[in-house]
Order: sequence, then structure tokens, then C-alpha cells
Amino acid sequence: MTHIAFREEDLALEVDYVVVGSGAGGATAANALARGGATVALIEAGPWRDPADYPSSTYGAMRDVFDDWGVGISRGRALWPIVQASCVGGTTVINCAICVRTPEDVMVGWERDLGVGGKAFRDAIWKHQDKLEVELCAEVVPAAAAGRSNLLAAKGAAAVPYDGHPMTRYVKGCVGSGQCLQGCKQLKKQSLNLQFIPEVMALGGTVLSCAPAERILLEGRRAVGVTGRFREPVTRRKGGRFTVRARKGVVVAASVTRTAPLLAASGVKHPRMGFGFRAHPGTGVIGVYDEDVDMNVGATQGWASVQYRIDPGMKIETLSIPPEMIASRLAGAGKELVARMGEYRRMAMWVVAVRAEAVGRVKRGFFGEVSVEYGFAQPDIERLRKGLALLARTHFAAGARKVLPGIYGLPYELGPDQIGLIENGPLDPRAYILISSHLFGGTTMDKDPARGVCDEYGRVHGYERLVVADASVIPTTLGVNPQHTIMALARTFAEHLLDA
Amino acid sequence: MRVIVWLARSAMVTFYPRSEQFPGIEDMPLDEYIARFRRECAPIIWAGFVLGTLLFHITPLFTVFVPLPAFWLSAETRDRHAQRLAAHPIYYVRQPVFLLKMIAGLLWGADPKVRAALGLPPYPADPGTWRKS
Ligand SMILES: Cc1cc2nc3c(=O)[nH]c(=O)nc-3n(C[C@H](O)[C@H](O)[C@H](O)COP(=O)(O)OP(=O)(O)OC[C@H]3O[C@@H](n4cnc5c(N)ncnc54)[C@H](O)[C@@H]3O)c2cc1C
Ligand code: SF4
Repeated sequence: MTHIAFREEDLALEVDYVVVGSGAGGATAANALARGGATVALIEAGPWRDPADYPSSTYGAMRDVFDDWGVGISRGRALWPIVQASCVGGTTVINCAICVRTPEDVMVGWERDLGVGGKAFRDAIWKHQDKLEVELCAEVVPAAAAGRSNLLAAKGAAAVPYDGHPMTRYVKGCVGSGQCLQGCKQLKKQSLNLQFIPEVMALGGTVLSCAPAERILLEGRRAVGVTGRFREPVTRRKGGRFTVRARKGVVVAASVTRTAPLLAASGVKHPRMGFGFRAHPGTGVIGVYDEDVDMNVGATQGWASVQYRIDPGMKIETLSIPPEMIASRLAGAGKELVARMGEYRRMAMWVVAVRAEAVGRVKRGFFGEVSVEYGFAQPDIERLRKGLALLARTHFAAGARKVLPGIYGLPYELGPDQIGLIENGPLDPRAYILISSHLFGGTTMDKDPARGVCDEYGRVHGYERLVVADASVIPTTLGVNPQHTIMALARTFAEHLLDA
Repeated sequence: MRVIVWLARSAMVTFYPRSEQFPGIEDMPLDEYIARFRRECAPIIWAGFVLGTLLFHITPLFTVFVPLPAFWLSAETRDRHAQRLAAHPIYYVRQPVFLLKMIAGLLWGADPKVRAALGLPPYPADPGTWRKS
């Protein structure tokens, strides 16, 4: 079992495969390669934090587990935050572990429009998902852990009416502590720092943490390894250089915002590198009830509706957030803001994730930071308005006294007869604060090497032994939470590498 | 730097003042928080925070129509200034001010006294530790 964290000395290793990034894609690929008998090195930019190391506050989460304090932003007319994690296990450590199978229509679209996949491919993805659900203990949120916010959402949707369901998540025996976004200290969430990565080590693999890869090593058009310098997580001081040579291949899974810039910085050339960025940006409507809701009690996200996934293209979910985040989410300042915070316990927050048409681009910024050009066009704002209006309607159907739309230019609070104000809300994206956490693209799959960076097995067109195995390969939005799809793709790609 | 910290403190106190229900951010270890935040945060966030602070202090002329920096205003006028600034029509004014409000809110909303006022248990400390071998 080998784990190497920050160190001052240089390090050189040789393995069969080196995998860059230990999130949903990277950990799953490394695990499949190790299970297949290969020697693997898994390289992670962030530190390894065990549940005892997890933060409790949002400040601690931003400092300790978010990628660069969560300062990634997409730049269009509006500046919207992009949230990802940087630690062993990647974003699976801070996500809500919601597990949704890849919709058939999505994969049929890939085959039809991009020549990617086919029936055998779809069946392989779903077969992997069957197994992943067992291995990661996918479970419907237990009634005892549902929490009032989730139950109210179910009640509201039934009254509107539209379909909804308690979520299935990779969580074994959730106790509803509402702390998924800071990491599950109860050891219930099956994040990949607890699941696949220890198995990689047990099978003889090596994990390097605090180890941001700077470059993929190429010999001509063949990937032969990875190099970078250790980075101390608190001071960001640089340590020794690590160089990992790979006899059989390099798998890059550094996330949508990091993979394409890393490949480009390594000299991997492709005219579509960084293009095809897509997302499900989301925001919420807060309902204020007559009685305490205590949204901080219960599963952080426990109920969802996919009824509108295709038309108009959005997903509805509950999301509980702590007082320190609500404090900036509520409009106002000073005495007025503090008075508004007095209603925290009676608030429930539900969100709409928009399946946006917008397409953007990921680049390396001037200072080496994440840079994403991305902006909503009118159809996406229209979807957003529909989603927010539906959330407001759901709150009122569940018994809310008022809703707080959080839209610039609208009153702070609205009553049931004012939902039209949301439906006809501003078309300017700057009136909304959306957060993107479901990201896709940057090195998308396409059969045609001129249109996409990777093929249907994640292999970079025109290069040998170089595979991308994270959300960067996904060529469209999904309309559902992406982790299950990312893991199934990563496992498919890794097994294909082993077969090759 | 001391001036920036002093200005930031004054802005943060305006955003989260004492009320009947809650303690104000001034009742919390604010100087220590600003110093820690500066040490720990990404440089670009610190830059945005400083920008938000400066905007807060130089803009009362455009919000409450008083040609004075915010720290010279009466508490009541400063409160009105903060409310108008947080809802300012210019996006690039609103955004850095939002960042300032958010960073102040991270301290205020997680403070044990505020949590107690909301009937919530205190957060355990954020260990800040990681696996070293
Ligand atoms: C708050 C939140 C909640 C979410 N909830 C859900 C959910 O409930 N269900 C769901 O399906 N999806 C959810 N998602 C989305 C899901 O977690 C991500 O889509 C998924 O984790 C992305 O997988 P990935 O492998 O592409 O990247 P990540 O999981 O982000 O992993 C990438 C890893 O690569 C590392 N890395 C980056 N650059 C380098 C480098 N140069 N060298 C070495 N390592 C590097 C990063 O530090 C990171 O650890 C959520 C996301 C967020 C932010
Ligand atoms: S709600 Fe609490 S117990 Fe359940 S998975 Fe999230 S952090 Fe773990």
C-alpha cells in the first residue's frame, strides 16, 4: 500500500498506467486498471483528507476541499461560480452522491450525431452502472433521513402536480446530517477516497497526493508519462519534482476545467481542444414556511424531479444550505439582512439545474488559472425562469407563506399571486447568480477526428496511449447528475485499454 | 495593509450589525478572521475582497448622495448605503460587494453565537489536516 504526499525530494516511478486526477473518472479508471492486473500510479493535485480531516463550516470547505477556493468562474455577460473539489476522491468528496443512470436518449443522440457508441456501447455502460450501484451501495434516501425540506418538496410537487421521487444516492445508511457538501463525516457517503482508491493501493498501486501534474510527457505522438512538482496544500510551496513513466498508457481525468488546459500545456494539439464546454447551471428559490423546516436536518439533497429533463430541459432538486451561505444568498445588507436571517429555520431551498443549450470554451487563464468562456442565451434564461416559477409554485403548494426568488430587480419576497413576476423575470443573465457544478466537455468524444478530441474510448485522436476518462469527454448535457455516467465511461475506457 | 483591514472591518460590521436576535460581526474575532482569510485564501479572492472594500468606502456619493467615505457616515446612513450598494444597478459594482458580503457572511453565519440564536449546535473546528504518509 503506497501513498506519497507532499515531499521535498524528487521522485521517479515507473508503472504500467499513470492516471491524472482521482475524482469520479480518474479513481474509477485507476481502479479498473488495477483490478485488471496492471500497476497503476494515481496522481492527485489536492491532498488526501480522511473523514476526520473534513471541515464542518463552509469557510473550511472552501479552504480545504474546493478547487482553488471555488474561484473558478465562467465568464459571459454574467460571472458565475464553478464549483469543484481538489482532493483525493475529487468532487465525489463534496457532492451529494446522487446516482442516475445515463438516459437512453442521450446515448442514442451521441450515436446519431457524433458516431459515438451504439447498442453494444449503451449496454456496456448500463451493465457497468448495474455493478457500480452494488459496489457503491446505491440506496434510496431512507425515510428517517429525508428531512422536512425534502418531504415538503414531495408534497408540493404532488399538489402542483408533477412527478418526483426520493433520490437514489451512493450512500449506505444516511443519517441525514445535511453535511454532504463538506464531506460525510458519518462515513455513509461512498466517496471514492473511501472506496475505489484504497482498493487501488491494496492491489499494489501508488497514490501521489499534493501532486499537480504539470505536463504529460510525450515521445512524438505517444504519451509516456507525467511530470509535475509536489505542492504543499496550505502554503502552496513547491516541493520536489515527480516523474512517473508509464509503460502502457496515460489516462487524464483532471476534470472539465483542468484536463483540456493540461493537455494543451503538454503540447497535445487539436483544433477542438477546450471547446464544447457545457453545463447545468443552477440556482434556487427559497420558500418561507409558518413552521420550522430546519433544512439543515436531513439528506442534503433528498428529492428530485426529472419530469422536465427534455422539455423544457431542466432538473428540479432540493438542496439544503447552511446559515453562513444563506447569509450572502439573501438580498440586502445591514439591519435588514440580519432581520431576514431570523427566518432561517423556516426556510427551504430548492433548486433548478438548467440543461443549457449554451456552449463555451475552457482555457488556461493568464495566470494559469481556470478560464471558462460561457454565457446563457435567451432560450436558457427562459428555461431558467420556467424552472424558478415552478419552484415557487411548488413551495406555495407545499404551504409556504412566501418565496424569496433571489432575482435582481424583483422584490425580495413574493406571494402566491406574484409568480408571474418570475415567469416574466429579467432576460439579462446578470440578474441571476447561478452556480455550475455539473460540467461537460473540453475534450469531447466524436468519431470524426476533426470535430472531437477523443474517440468513443476516450483515446485522443492522433495520439497513442493517451486517454481522457473524466467528464471532459461527454459531448452533450445529460439532464441528470453526471457521476454515474462519468464512472461508467471511465470503467469502459479502462477495460478497453486493458483489452488492447 | 492595516488600512485595508480597518476599512474591511468597518464594511463587514455594516453588513452584519448587532440585532435583537443576533450578535453582530463585531462581537466575533473579526481581525483574526481577516488576517487568517488573507493568509489562506487564493490571491484572486483577496483582490476581489479588497476591491469590494474600497468600493464600499468610496461610493456613498452615488448611493446616499453624501460626498464622504463610508467610514465617516453615521451608522444609520452607512446602513442605508450598504443596502443600496448591495442592490446597485451596475453589475461590476454589485459583484465585488457581493464577495465582501459573502466573506463576512462565512464568519458571521458560522459563529457559535449566531448558530445558538438559530437553535443550532456549534460547528466542530475545521481541522485543516490531511494524510501526510
Ligand atoms: C457541490 C457538488 C455537488 C454535486 N453533486 C452531484 C451528485 O449528487 N451526483 C452527481 O452525479 N454529480 C454531482 N456533482 C457533479 C460530480 O461530482 C462531477 O460531475 C464529477 O465528480 C466530475 O468527475 P471528474 O472525474 O470529471 O472530475 P472531479 O471529480 O472533479 O475530479 C478531478 C480531480 O482531478 C484533480 N486534478 C485537477 N488537475 C490536476 C492535475 N494537474 N494533476 C493532478 N490532479 C489534478 C482535481 O484536484 C480533482 O481531484 C456535484 C458537483 C458538485 C460541485
Ligand atoms: S446527509 Fe449526512 S449522513 Fe447523509 S450522506 Fe450526507 S453527510 Fe452523510
